[in-house]
Amino acid sequence: MASCSATSAPSLCSLLKLNCRVSSARQNFLLPPLSVSRKPILSPPSLSFAFKKIPGIAPRRFSESEAPEVEAEPVPESEPAQIVESSIEVPKREEVFAVVVIGSRQYIVFPGRFIHTQRLKGATADDKIILNKVLLVGTKTSTYIGKPVVPNAAVHAVIEEQGLNKKVTVFKYKKKKKYRRNIGHRQPNTRIRITGITGYQDSPAVTLDSL
Amino acid sequence: MTRIRQGYIARRRRAKIRLFASSFRGAHSRLTRTIIQQRIRALVSSHRDRDRQKRDFRRLWITRINAVIRESGVSYSYSRFIHNLYKRQLLLNRKILAQIAIFNRNCLYMISNEIIK
Repeated sequence: MASCSATSAPSLCSLLKLNCRVSSARQNFLLPPLSVSRKPILSPPSLSFAFKKIPGIAPRRFSESEAPEVEAEPVPESEPAQIVESSIEVPKREEVFAVVVIGSRQYIVFPGRFIHTQRLKGATADDKIILNKVLLVGTKTSTYIGKPVVPNAAVHAVIEEQGLNKKVTVFKYKKKKKYRRNIGHRQPNTRIRITGITGYQDSPAVTLDSL
Repeated sequence: MTRIRQGYIARRRRAKIRLFASSFRGAHSRLTRTIIQQRIRALVSSHRDRDRQKRDFRRLWITRINAVIRESGVSYSYSRFIHNLYKRQLLLNRKILAQIAIFNRNCLYMISNEIIK
């Protein structure tokens, strides 16, 4: 960025081996509303949340239809089923979120949800991963702001699948010059499910009271 | 040479193109020669706009951040906010800031207060 001061930019860049042009390469997905302050959606881990993002590769949107779907489930159930369900306790997910850097793109990450990222080389399914470049951790009452990284914070994740994005047709055409090229492209990606966010408790926190 | 009828070869080719343009308006989804032209235009637009998309979204994020930042305090603006962000060595990008601004506005206020100090 042109506005970077001369001393801070190279040191930051070398610290995190990012390009000095902090590129906000987006992931493909339409930006569906991402409600951070929403109550945790309790659902069995087998449900995969559809992440739609701005056209790009990494997904990360939580579709709005999730919340009404889950909330509507218990309603039509009969009474005995309801009693059974209340006795089965689903572990409550903590309402934390983190901003993590993967492949020089930043993602907002929630425990229990998945994101699509650029293909991670040498990774296979069910690999555990720890992401160290955590720029921000937020809870309901306080945020832990990283300068630039939150110290000792780690995001634990499990690799689910290495797949390909939807096909994109690259069509090159010059009019009146009889030039056209039709090329299809599928970008490789990796689906990662976030299991937990740890290690941020010791860092300085900013709370609502100080506002 | 024996006579060869064209058969269904051309029809199959055009059917694929017609499927692509099946949601276009009026004659653009009905007439074959028009469909071929409109398909070309559509693909060219999508190719060009995939690059524009990156620019467009960045503009959107900047506008959104600007709107939220201007609410807090007199003569505080996006440019000053970003300058402070870099001074304090934060690495959050505009996409994340815009998302936070919409869905967790308190968080953004906390960040901007931290930066101003």
